[in-house]
Amino acid sequence: MKRLTGFKVIALVAVALLLGPVAAPAFQGEGTLRIGGMWALSGGAAFFGKAALGLATLAADEINEAGGVTVAGKRVKITMHPQDDACNAEQGLAAVRRLATVDKVLFSLGPTCSSVAEPVFGTLQKKLGDSGDTGLQLLFFTDTATKFGLAKLSPWVFRNTPDEPAMYDFIVKYLKETKPELKTVMVSYESDFAHSAATWKGALEPALKKYGHHEIKEVVDWRWLDTEMGAQITKLRRANADVYFALAHTTSMCPSLKEMKSQRVRPKMIIGITSLAGTEVLINCPDLAEGVISPTNFAPINPKAKQIADKSWEKYKADSNIHSVPAYENVHLIKGLIEKAQLKNTEESLLEDRRKVRDLLAKVGTFQGVIGKITLHPEDHPVKPRDVDKDMLLVQVKNAKWSVFWAPPHLKGN
Amino acid sequence: MLDATEQFINGLMFGCLYALIGGGFTILFGVMRRFNMAYGSTIMAGAYVALVPVYLFRAPAWLMVLTGIAAAVLVGLLVEFCCFRFIKKGHELAPLMTTIGMLIVINEAIVHATDAVGLKYPSPFGDVALELGQFLVRRDYLAVLVAGVVCFTLIFLLLYRTRFGRAMRAVAERPEAAQILGVSVRRVNVLTFVLTSALAGVIGFFAAVSVGSARPDMAFFVTGKGLVVMVLGGLGSLPGAIVGGLVLGVLEFEATWFLGATYRDILAFVILFLVLVFRPQGLVGTRTT
Repeated sequence: MKRLTGFKVIALVAVALLLGPVAAPAFQGEGTLRIGGMWALSGGAAFFGKAALGLATLAADEINEAGGVTVAGKRVKITMHPQDDACNAEQGLAAVRRLATVDKVLFSLGPTCSSVAEPVFGTLQKKLGDSGDTGLQLLFFTDTATKFGLAKLSPWVFRNTPDEPAMYDFIVKYLKETKPELKTVMVSYESDFAHSAATWKGALEPALKKYGHHEIKEVVDWRWLDTEMGAQITKLRRANADVYFALAHTTSMCPSLKEMKSQRVRPKMIIGITSLAGTEVLINCPDLAEGVISPTNFAPINPKAKQIADKSWEKYKADSNIHSVPAYENVHLIKGLIEKAQLKNTEESLLEDRRKVRDLLAKVGTFQGVIGKITLHPEDHPVKPRDVDKDMLLVQVKNAKWSVFWAPPHLKGN
Repeated sequence: MLDATEQFINGLMFGCLYALIGGGFTILFGVMRRFNMAYGSTIMAGAYVALVPVYLFRAPAWLMVLTGIAAAVLVGLLVEFCCFRFIKKGHELAPLMTTIGMLIVINEAIVHATDAVGLKYPSPFGDVALELGQFLVRRDYLAVLVAGVVCFTLIFLLLYRTRFGRAMRAVAERPEAAQILGVSVRRVNVLTFVLTSALAGVIGFFAAVSVGSARPDMAFFVTGKGLVVMVLGGLGSLPGAIVGGLVLGVLEFEATWFLGATYRDILAFVILFLVLVFRPQGLVGTRTT
């Protein structure tokens, strides 16, 4: 009998835990509007995930401090529901289901890693309004997962992420025009990191072939979490090329730069991957990274950008970078759409509300980002539907800080 | 050929680090007959805490090593207390799970404390490689080689020239018989943890110096390497750990040079598979601890 009582208690607690999130009051009735995000908040990519969460929270705070969002004539506050996918596909699949069906968010930001985004976006509905398609109807407005073409996986996916083919196309062209004497290149990339491998195979290699100015002397690869690159750097030492494209993230970039210094490999120019342009590399190996150039979509080049960078660091210790600032931009953009969309913001109207915001997002066109205008391509765009075009800059590590190496003329005056 | 020889030399030196990691796992397994999967997190904790005096007052390297050893010993004792002490005899698999749990807890604690950002690790050995004839030799790898020789010499002296070493070997061979003869098995177990944790402090320092930073993924890296080395050399064999570490180091460097990084791990695990099939006792395969 005692055992039965114990079992009953456990069963009741389990039922209460299961029902808890569902039974909690929410939505219009309690004056809140739920938005979600799934990022790598633990594990090796947590630096990027935590930064994006910080910037998204900053945007939500700014909106709430200004009175909130107007929904059906009532001012409601935004509440953030972040989930941790740890840059792990299985965890990501669990997180997306939770966001869609337990947290019941209007839309989600993230994920951090392309390797998580691919399977997660695969669970979303493939064709709008198809009653036979049981995929999740959850709007994603991605800030970080950068691998080219991810938004094509579902009409529910929109992205405000870097366009790396365009960035590296620009860099190769820029080098050809301004530094024609630099004729040989060598490349390293992380073969097990979707973003890095895609940057080489889908962005840099096609650009080098297109312009035909540079001779590729050597291409080496290593793993994302590798720490020993002696053999690869010896190959680069033998290649002795003018320009070194290091398409590696900080985790492998720093030990490879250490090995390069050790073996006295001194290319005339080192150009990194987009994700490098953040604080992580400056904490990890500022001296080794001195002089490295990286393409980015964000640098604190105007008062607004400086203010965001300072505030996010001060309030959340969140780094404002190429991946986190889009989370801030996305929340502000969707706030405007919510006010236009005539949402009901109830549990029953959730799917309908998500669809309304999705449809408006598909028609946004151009909107104001932190450092410049951003164009969100429509659904029928032949190359990158629901993806953006935005200004790019080149930044360089100087005295252990990122400084602008090149910016488009229209941004220089900002 | 010149480059391949250079890779061989570097692989041999870096293999000393693998040998030390494998040695720590081996001593624990040899004495207690149980796997300590949290050994990697003990190494990582030592590496991180060794940075504290550097951040506070630019401490010299020897103080970093001592701080790392002290921290690793404390973490090692915590692991022993939480994951081994209360596990009853006959439940050999239970510590495997408790130590995996501890590995994850310590790892995530460091991830959250540092936001998963690696911390710059000062190297007392300089950044530029030595030119030895036609070869470039990294100074920190040379230091790893020296540290490996010193550590293993001390461990062998301890095992074969001291009373405690005799007690350790007795517990490793026949714990019940050792107990009947008056050896406190619990005391030997705790002191084995102290010994291997002190070694973890040294490993943590050299592992972080060779990378240039302390990183939160370090625990998983050393755990993987330690287990491979232990199996390759022979479970419970200290000479086996040394041979296994050196073989793995050379194999990785040469495989990366000739085949590329993608095939490096495949080759390492194919060789591990072949060793397990054709020589299951490992390359050396004799128990000394």
